[in-house]
Amino acid sequence: MQEANADRQRRQRFDQVVGVFHQDMYRYAAWLSRDKAIADDVVQEALLRAWKSLDALRDDAAAKPWLLTIVRRENARYFERRRLETVDIDNLTASQAALLAEQPDDNLNDMRMAIFELDDDYREPLVLQVLMGFSTNEIAEQMGLKQGAVLTRLHRARAKLKDVMDDEAVG
Amino acid sequence: MTAGNMTMNCEHYREAILAEPSFDGGAGHVSECAACQEYRHEMLALNETISRALAINVPELVMPELPKVETDKVVTLADRRRVSAPAWLAVAATVVIAAFLGIRFVGNGIEFDSLADEVLAHVDHEPYALRVTDEPVSQSRLASVVSGDIARMDHSAGLITYAQSCTINGHEVPHLVIQGERGPVTILLMPDETIADAIPLHDEYSNGVILPVGNGSIAIIGVRDEDLNNIEESVVKSVMWRT
Repeated sequence: MQEANADRQRRQRFDQVVGVFHQDMYRYAAWLSRDKAIADDVVQEALLRAWKSLDALRDDAAAKPWLLTIVRRENARYFERRRLETVDIDNLTASQAALLAEQPDDNLNDMRMAIFELDDDYREPLVLQVLMGFSTNEIAEQMGLKQGAVLTRLHRARAKLKDVMDDEAVG
Repeated sequence: MTAGNMTMNCEHYREAILAEPSFDGGAGHVSECAACQEYRHEMLALNETISRALAINVPELVMPELPKVETDKVVTLADRRRVSAPAWLAVAATVVIAAFLGIRFVGNGIEFDSLADEVLAHVDHEPYALRVTDEPVSQSRLASVVSGDIARMDHSAGLITYAQSCTINGHEVPHLVIQGERGPVTILLMPDETIADAIPLHDEYSNGVILPVGNGSIAIIGVRDEDLNNIEESVVKSVMWRT
């Protein structure tokens, strides 16, 4: 009886944490892998891993970085297992293209393509900052970088996106 | 303000706002510089577009089938202080027997066949930790990762260039990197992982060992041709479990 109660409470806690951050987990996975089908797989694996190690999460206030760290590791694990080639921009698969072709807004599509084409090293801190609301310090922690390196990457990422969007505006 | 200062301020301000559009450290400058005000607006608009572009549609959450987790078998550091000696020995014996028989490793997640597998997989999945650098982690960072609850560690182990709390077999453990002679060497301090004998770790690229230390163990993994003898000795000497 007591055990069933504990199991129920554990499951409730898990549902609560995941319910709040599922969108963040999926978007992070999608922009890390640049592929919606891979993001689906990575999130499923991350949910399983989070469930199994839920007791390691001592404070629910830290759930977001904890879950995103799990997603990051699962994504690395996924690519390591499959030894995937880098994305060929000219020959996107359907699930890669699905990430880009969602909006009728041309400006937004141009931006999405520009982000898609950013190097992983630049795209990831940008996603963590803009989408996840992480501070540069938190990004440094998450990526195992120094804060200065994060600032440089963010600076270069935006400079590149600005150049692309300026070119699109002129063209 | 001289023209030279204005140029420097503009450069610095624009560099800062490109990295962080919410940067407000240049308020004094931007209030006097129309060009930077314009640039700031441009950056905020760019950031808004980035934000909208990143916010892709998310499919409905489909929960995977969640296995039953036997939480009563998990011994956390906090629990461990309350566990009687015979009970703790029984748990430790279970772990050792499991490792010896090669059955699936039991913790709060049934993931790996052995502790060795989990340790090697973990090292593989944090490749950014393995940087060659002479920049030590700060004392405060080290103290927060190797907290007083887990262990006491001094700097005699070597130049520590990475420190992060990680999860191994469901337990939070300090993951450190020190600089060896041939490259970075990973150290995992695992006060909860009792092993009977040293477990050698080898793969195509790595050379390492999990050493039994008191009631816990320490994993030490370097590149394939790293001589770990001196490092093992200094690490083991520098660590004292606190639990």
